[in-house]
Amino acid sequence: MIRAALIGNPNVGKTEIFNRLTGLSQKVGNFPGVTVEKKAGMLVHRGREIEVVDLPGAYSLTAHAVDELVASDYIVLERPDVIVDIVDGINLERNLYLTLLLLEMDANLVVALNRWDMVAARGMEIDIEKLSELLGCPVVPTVAITGCGLEDLKDSIVDAAGQKRAKGQGAALNYGDDIEQLINKVEDVIKECTALNGRYPERWLAIKMLEGDERVMEQTRAILSSSQLADILSIIEAEEAAIK
Amino acid sequence: MSILKRLDELVPGQGGRIASISPCGNLRRKLMEMGLVIGSELMVIRVAPAGDPVEVLLRGYSLALRKNEAKQLILEVDAA
Repeated sequence: MIRAALIGNPNVGKTEIFNRLTGLSQKVGNFPGVTVEKKAGMLVHRGREIEVVDLPGAYSLTAHAVDELVASDYIVLERPDVIVDIVDGINLERNLYLTLLLLEMDANLVVALNRWDMVAARGMEIDIEKLSELLGCPVVPTVAITGCGLEDLKDSIVDAAGQKRAKGQGAALNYGDDIEQLINKVEDVIKECTALNGRYPERWLAIKMLEGDERVMEQTRAILSSSQLADILSIIEAEEAAIK
Repeated sequence: MSILKRLDELVPGQGGRIASISPCGNLRRKLMEMGLVIGSELMVIRVAPAGDPVEVLLRGYSLALRKNEAKQLILEVDAA
């Protein structure tokens, strides 16, 4: 069975796509520990069973809002086979922020470029091949309200599940030399920790630790050895002192 | 010539480029996530009677801000 999760900014047509993909097979529950509704449904495509989970709409994936936290925990801890990022074609610039965050998490991503009809109606042009090349993941134009493009989207989900994305294949945001050096240093310490191995994407973890993300610090404190944690904290401290 | 103004001082139709975002921490992060980063251009579309909320057009979408959020944004405005 392929486990797929849908994510996207609020009001991009995410639920419409979810309904069209899963039809009447939905189950509604809650994500454990919080009262954020969890909707999951099944579909069969090309002989493969696909379980689709509809994640809460989010502009970003910080640990400050419960719905964003649910989405990021699901992606990082449950590691679904494919993440479908639903992007509003007429608000591409704003929506791609979330896309970049997902790529940073090493998510096996398929981008659904929704409201494709509106893109043409507004006289906009989007070079899908170029976008796909820049992001390093498939981009499928869709029109959720008519169901247009959804067969292609299902194809892309099955294809993406068959080929696990190689690490670092997607577009990584370059934070500039000084910060990149810092990310590498923290990443090196993380890579040495065998208990963490494979549980989190290393680069993402390094960035979150540099951001001082409380949630990530809490989750990793128990796993990293105290000397490794001390190493990371001293790297951060030294850099902060240098900036001041 | 351009002058610096707080977003809540602008009237509909006026706009400018974001020169600075005052708060730090979570509010700053949230504002930046919503597309309000230094250098981005925005225009005030309309303002509610008490100046709260303020609707702005930014990168092709509209965004409503509370007055206390609008106060935190300093814009470079062309002095006409």
